[in-house]
Amino acid sequence: MPRYGFVIDLKRCYGCYTCQVACKAANHTPKGIDWARCVPAETGSFPAALRQMVPLLCQQCADPECLKVCPTGATTQDENGIVHVDKDLCMGCKYCIMACPYGARQTVDEWETYFPDAEGTLDQYEAYAKAEWEEKSGYGIATKCDYCMDRVNEGREPACVEACPAKARYFGDLDDPESEVSILIRRERGFQLNPEFGTDPSCYYLPPR
Amino acid sequence: MLPDLKAQSKWSWLIAAYLFLAGLGGGAYVTGAVAGFLGEQEWAGVAKIGVCLGFPCVAVGCIFLLVDLGSPAKFWRAGMRPNTSWVARGTIIITIFMILGAIHIIYGVWPSNTLVESIGVRHFLSILGILFAFGTMIYTGILLAASRPIAFWSTAMLPLLFLVSALSTGIMAVVLLASLAGTTHAGRIESLARFDMLLVILEMFVLAFYLQGTHRVPESRASARLVLCGSVARMFWWGVAVLGLTAPLLLDALGAFALEGGWSVFFAFLASACGITGGLFLRQVVLSGGIHAPLRAGRFEIALPIV
Repeated sequence: MPRYGFVIDLKRCYGCYTCQVACKAANHTPKGIDWARCVPAETGSFPAALRQMVPLLCQQCADPECLKVCPTGATTQDENGIVHVDKDLCMGCKYCIMACPYGARQTVDEWETYFPDAEGTLDQYEAYAKAEWEEKSGYGIATKCDYCMDRVNEGREPACVEACPAKARYFGDLDDPESEVSILIRRERGFQLNPEFGTDPSCYYLPPR
Repeated sequence: MLPDLKAQSKWSWLIAAYLFLAGLGGGAYVTGAVAGFLGEQEWAGVAKIGVCLGFPCVAVGCIFLLVDLGSPAKFWRAGMRPNTSWVARGTIIITIFMILGAIHIIYGVWPSNTLVESIGVRHFLSILGILFAFGTMIYTGILLAASRPIAFWSTAMLPLLFLVSALSTGIMAVVLLASLAGTTHAGRIESLARFDMLLVILEMFVLAFYLQGTHRVPESRASARLVLCGSVARMFWWGVAVLGLTAPLLLDALGAFALEGGWSVFFAFLASACGITGGLFLRQVVLSGGIHAPLRAGRFEIALPIV
């Protein structure tokens, strides 16, 4: 069984937010939910200041906090390391949102239209997205990125990887030492975010420069 | 450069009310159950008040929690994973406490029941109830303390702070109701008020040490700044420090040492009303001070977006 993981090359990311939009298009997430995000970061001060865009998504930790704190059993982890929320079991206590060190879990209470001027009726595309969202996830419950498992099972890459124009994102098997992600992590000294929480994230970042 | 860290916004007054009422109910039950051990005659009234407050307060608190759930119809699943989840463990503890509290009210306090004759059974029920009441009070702190990325909550001081506050507000709730009966319970009210002064002083120390302990990491320092001089400061200083701690201490001291009879009871009533309100503010201050650790990617630190 593979252990799916991400590699995000910070020196390649130029912050175009394509990952964020591609994720939204692929997963029909409502307003207020972004499973893939791109956030600006700064360090130092003038004249030695640096800016960097940091793409964020669920880190699919090997030892996830969200799984431990979930009281209902709605959160489960597959053998391939992907952590899921069962929409029929989650009661919406929001504890996982507090416990996740990476802010990967989000919740919304209702579908808020992107086009408020349309007077209450959703256009066909938004109505389709809403229906898809309600089928796969829902309101009031915790939701999160699952590395586009539907697409991966069809043999495709996650939407954000496929869409990234800078080729800053790689998806693959961390357990296979010869996979592209494993080689990149070894060769370019990939690191995990906040390793002090001991969750062993499956998402690695390559240093900015 | 440290990013602008923002406090969590997902848990607010509903959860604060739940934490507060669960603590107060547990504290009031312990007050009543212990009073039941103290003496059959003179403490019986206070014992009844305390025991009768336990179950209803915790139950109302749970209603606040239910309202906060995103999908309340599935609330019954809350205890499914006690092996790893503190929410699940707490749900079980609180459920057992509510069952014990309800049994105690029905069989131990109401007269004209068969079990009331058997002091042994009632005392056994009290001891079991006290254990789970303590579990309930401490759990309200552990619930927050188990959230590891929020350093302001993730400390062993928080369960202690909530325990002391729960006991103190529990006693105050009993005093509040007992004082409504005028001077009937005056002697007991004075004893309770004096003991509560000790708890309030202890709570001041625990609170001070709790805040002192925030110096370790940037996110909890940011929490302390938020609470002591930021947007939560007004609620902390007026709601917790003045209304919740200083006022009850001074009013109780006045009532217990300088006044007698009806005035003493009246001041204990005022002290309790202030202290109980302060207990609710304390929960809300702690909740609104919760800040997640920033993400660290090499040299870059990023505040968590959307929490």
